[in-house]
Amino acid sequence: MSPRRTSAGGLIDRTRTIRFTFDGESLTGHAGDTLASALLASGISLMGRSFKYHRPRGVFTAGIDEPNALVTLLREGVREPNIPATQIQIYDGLRAESQNRFPSLAWDIGAVNQLGGRLLGAGFYYKTFMGPVMGPLKGTRFWMMCEHFIRRAAGLGRADFEPDPSHYEQTNAFCDVLIVGGGIAGLMAAEAAAKAGKRVILAEQEPITGGFARWSGETIEGKPAHEWVSNLTARLASLDHVRLLTRTAVWGYYDGNTLAALERVNDHVARPPKGHPRQRHWTIRATDVVLATGALERPIVFPGNDRPGIMLAGAMRRYAEEFGVLPGSRTIFFTNNDSAYEAAANLRRAGGHVAAIVDVRAKISSAASELATAAGVSPLIGHAIVGSRGGKALSRVFVQAFDAASGTLSGDARQLECDSLAVSGGWQPVLHLASQAGAKPVWDGEKQAFLPPPPTQRWTGAGAFLGKFGTTDALASGRDAGLKCAGKRASRGQLPAIAPEALDLTPAPVLEIRARGRAFVDFQHDVTADDVRLAHREGFVSVEHLKRYTTLGMATDQGKTSNVPGLAIMATARGITIPEVGTTRFRPPYSPVAIGALAAERYGDLKPERYTPMHDWHVERGAEMTPAGLWNRPLIYAAAGETVEQAYIREAAAVRRSVGIVDVSTLGKIAVKGPDAATFLDRVYTNTFSTLKVGKARYGLMLREDGIAFDDGTTWRLGETNFLVTTTTANAGAVMQHLEYCLDILWPELKVHLTSVTDQWAGAAIAGPKARAVLEGCVTGTKVDNETLPFMGIVHGQIDRAPVMICRLSFSGELAYEVYSGAGHGTHVWETLMEAGEPFDITPYGMEALGALRIEKGHVTGAEIDGRTTARDLYLDWMLSKKKPFIGSGLMDRPALIDKNRLRLVGVISLDGQKLGGGAHLVERGSADEPGESIGHVTAFCYSPTLQNYIGLALVRGGKLRHGTRAYLSDPLRGRFGQVEIVSHHFFDPDGERMHG
Amino acid sequence: MLIDCPHCGSRDLAEFSYQGDATRARPDLASTDTKAWLDYVYNRPNPAGRHREFWQHAGGCRAHLVVERDTLTHEILTVAFARDAAGGDAA
Amino acid sequence: MVERASPLGSDFRPGFHGDFAEGTGVTILEAIKGSIVEANAWPGEEKTLTENLSAICRLKLSAAPGSGAANREGTCAFNIGPGRFLLSGQDEALAGDLIAAIDETTGTVTDLSHGRTVFAIEGSQVEWVLAKLFALDFSLSAFPVHTGRATAHHDLFVQIQRRGEKRFELYVFRSFARAFAKTLRRASEDVGYTIR
Repeated sequence: MSPRRTSAGGLIDRTRTIRFTFDGESLTGHAGDTLASALLASGISLMGRSFKYHRPRGVFTAGIDEPNALVTLLREGVREPNIPATQIQIYDGLRAESQNRFPSLAWDIGAVNQLGGRLLGAGFYYKTFMGPVMGPLKGTRFWMMCEHFIRRAAGLGRADFEPDPSHYEQTNAFCDVLIVGGGIAGLMAAEAAAKAGKRVILAEQEPITGGFARWSGETIEGKPAHEWVSNLTARLASLDHVRLLTRTAVWGYYDGNTLAALERVNDHVARPPKGHPRQRHWTIRATDVVLATGALERPIVFPGNDRPGIMLAGAMRRYAEEFGVLPGSRTIFFTNNDSAYEAAANLRRAGGHVAAIVDVRAKISSAASELATAAGVSPLIGHAIVGSRGGKALSRVFVQAFDAASGTLSGDARQLECDSLAVSGGWQPVLHLASQAGAKPVWDGEKQAFLPPPPTQRWTGAGAFLGKFGTTDALASGRDAGLKCAGKRASRGQLPAIAPEALDLTPAPVLEIRARGRAFVDFQHDVTADDVRLAHREGFVSVEHLKRYTTLGMATDQGKTSNVPGLAIMATARGITIPEVGTTRFRPPYSPVAIGALAAERYGDLKPERYTPMHDWHVERGAEMTPAGLWNRPLIYAAAGETVEQAYIREAAAVRRSVGIVDVSTLGKIAVKGPDAATFLDRVYTNTFSTLKVGKARYGLMLREDGIAFDDGTTWRLGETNFLVTTTTANAGAVMQHLEYCLDILWPELKVHLTSVTDQWAGAAIAGPKARAVLEGCVTGTKVDNETLPFMGIVHGQIDRAPVMICRLSFSGELAYEVYSGAGHGTHVWETLMEAGEPFDITPYGMEALGALRIEKGHVTGAEIDGRTTARDLYLDWMLSKKKPFIGSGLMDRPALIDKNRLRLVGVISLDGQKLGGGAHLVERGSADEPGESIGHVTAFCYSPTLQNYIGLALVRGGKLRHGTRAYLSDPLRGRFGQVEIVSHHFFDPDGERMHG
Repeated sequence: MLIDCPHCGSRDLAEFSYQGDATRARPDLASTDTKAWLDYVYNRPNPAGRHREFWQHAGGCRAHLVVERDTLTHEILTVAFARDAAGGDAA
Repeated sequence: MVERASPLGSDFRPGFHGDFAEGTGVTILEAIKGSIVEANAWPGEEKTLTENLSAICRLKLSAAPGSGAANREGTCAFNIGPGRFLLSGQDEALAGDLIAAIDETTGTVTDLSHGRTVFAIEGSQVEWVLAKLFALDFSLSAFPVHTGRATAHHDLFVQIQRRGEKRFELYVFRSFARAFAKTLRRASEDVGYTIR
């Protein structure tokens, strides 16, 4: 029998024993236990060490608001830190460890930090790391070194360096009504909305619905409240149009009634079943939202309020009622409101011993008196707790007479023995989502709580969220909220009968007892009441500054227990009211969300890969593939033992010598059709397409509106009103979008249709002196001789029965053709071309060789059309029509764009026989260590098999004017400094005899 | 943020591409008024409050839309096809 | 004619996958189409275009946004944008017939028979699986049989037609087909899936 477990009662399944370990110790609990309840049942109250001072801490709550009992879980070989023990359902084999302690939780060296408490106060980092100059050490640098050690000592659990093996997924849901919170109010709302035929989603963060009803000890319609809610839940679950999501925390409320939720699908088992995710992220779009998020209990701040054994009164009640756990054997209650009396009576009924009830109020209600009697004590009214003793467990508290109206203590402090203390500072509705949705919470002076603001989106509040804490209120407001979402009026129908009757939970306005000793406001970040006052003295009085200066409310619990007490202390210090201090706007997430859950299916797979029709052929032939945007393209086809450089030199040389073949399927292709197609192209290209003859292609250049070069490619006129525009691989999407913009917005009167046909066509370029011979060997249905298929001509035919379209154009400077076939025929056509090329030793080549060939020819690509260069910079001004306006013509002649000293295209040749480097700068003088001023940079380089040397393209100041001069390549990153000659970028066959031949 | 595409209905922001300020006045293509071109290409009012913007439903029907939006609240006031909006870019 | 190669690699192999212990929730297959075309009407010609397409394909197509139709031979069509339609059918000659039949004053037709890959996904869990990939309401009332939607899954552009209460066809760019198959399979793992 566990030392702290009651002999009967609670909602746990005592027939099922579950084994787990905590810090290596083997322990047991029951099905239905959280890690916190199972540890308490095992007599373990010390669960963690605090953030800065390493103070021993026990569990403070029983739910999502837990600031202290954070543990690290070891799952599937990785560590997951900072999980509240109150949020972990135990399972067989669970392994948990405590955090922020060394060498062990009980004996923690870091606890020495407590002695330096004064030094580690608010603003410690801000003050410290503006360090003074100390002798030869530059101040800040010295302190930076210290910081490393200080930061190590302060903190939460450590993240793992291993990849997360878990599988996460995301999904979308649409509903008429989303209900956040599966307590009584939420369930009533769901039932009312569902009855009216609405599609309902109900999200409850706990594993089981019911909320407060699970541990209130009340009866509804003569049944225990927890039984009544499980019956209602079962009825809802049986409805097709209701989706119940348990273990699902709604953590974000965004525009358009879009809410984000995290479902912990399989965190309560050791390993998810095959194919199932660990967590599922939901994006929910709801016409209406019901916020039935309940309320969280607040503590009262007093010196020594953080010892293990001290917890919220409601948590004590929950441990006793739901889990059958008595956290102590002598419990004292300390309160400013009536709810602690109910908790005390419940504890007593469950078999606990209530040693005292200390109440700050001078007078209490008769209902409270009766409950005190039921708890077996007569309450100490007009008293407050002013201190506590105990090391790793509470042993006694000190009590003094207290005047709630003035906040003053009087008389001598009395000592009361106890091993547990239950505190209640009243209840605060959970308004986080309403605040995220865009409205400011409103302070209610009478209820001493922030209440929901008027809605800024379509949501309706229900239950304790509204600041109405009784079960009858929850039933009524829940039902009305559901009806409202269904477009119906509030009901006057009979509500289920509740026993006992609800208390008035209005607290006395006391949230801090000021006495000697350290009193904690934010447990998780170790922020004390004195820190808040220090912030005030130092001028950080606004709520936003208070938060940032002290880190109050910025820990993983997001200040769920500390928010209101912190504001109250600042209000007192400033002599103003809480609403005058204000409250910060809550931001998502309401509770922590794993990054993995946000990445979901994209984890490890950030972008989808695109494959050309011939992809498998390339891979089978040993091609080394390289990413080009989303595409995969062959880099080289390495023969045995070849380096990348050897391979591309061989491939490029083969093209110059005989013939090569390259996959160009990735080029963007856009069908441009309609009676105004030619007019349209004349406007978007710098050159003219209306004069292009059917069956011919033309190279074109597009500018942006600002006159800078945008993209280039060939356009084929397939019919009078039918063009095929090709774009660079990288810009395919951008060009399509640009053209669509032009038609939709600039010239909607033009009758032109655009369709992306990139994926319709497989493209193979055949280049080299033997290219025509290869085609002659396999093309049927058309001749391919110079007359039928001249330079820039287009023919249609077949290759081994597959229809093809062949255009004679050249990127390499060789006699070359692009053969387009239906994508599904791509590999068939490619293989047939390979066969036809066999007599000529046809060589497949990759991106590297393609690059080398184009550099030799001086063709520009994205490396030169880099978003900064103009047509003139690239010596493409011959393409700028003077006969018609086009996009970019309005601004391309601005003085700065036609300046003679702009960076313009040239070729460079290595003079020391060494490699050049992409991005390397060119300088006129200097040395490797002290290079002179840059006159430009290398955009691309290769080894030229033709010139038998390293060559490159470069953008240099003045361009052509520098032909024949020398410069130095300065590439400090690669440790390279060497001489180059600046030459024309047309290294190879400048007159184009080979490609026209 | 959701945009109510006149063709596809209410869709998530992720499906749309921002395509610029819809209050600019575009000079005629043949215009050589450099100042007018500079205004069109570079000058933006960046209002706090109501604004007219072009959005393309790129992950949907591909249509360009004129969206009237409050830049302070993200509230979307009107959505229309850019083709139907009077004067398109020059409106 | 030469047989068209599938863009799907060897990873897309027939059989049962994922958590199929209690049967599979969906079946995924490549829906082989002889023809796929995009037809596009000039402003004001939408009605004429839909009438012509309907006559040639023996369908009842309307110009309403997202509307669609299908006939017994498996020819189907749906609206993908203002005045734009995606049509597909078993007959490889259909694309050519449509291109020839639609008058230039009505609109244009572009052959995409090679350019799009179509996945069919069907089964009791089909809505559950698709909801993971697209922010669309897949309920029958919001997305009736035959209607279509154009949407995106991150970088993947997808056009979807509901072909039955529990059957959808998804059109993707051919070069993305393999990546999309992977995505679709991963989304189906928890309900178990059959590849046919």
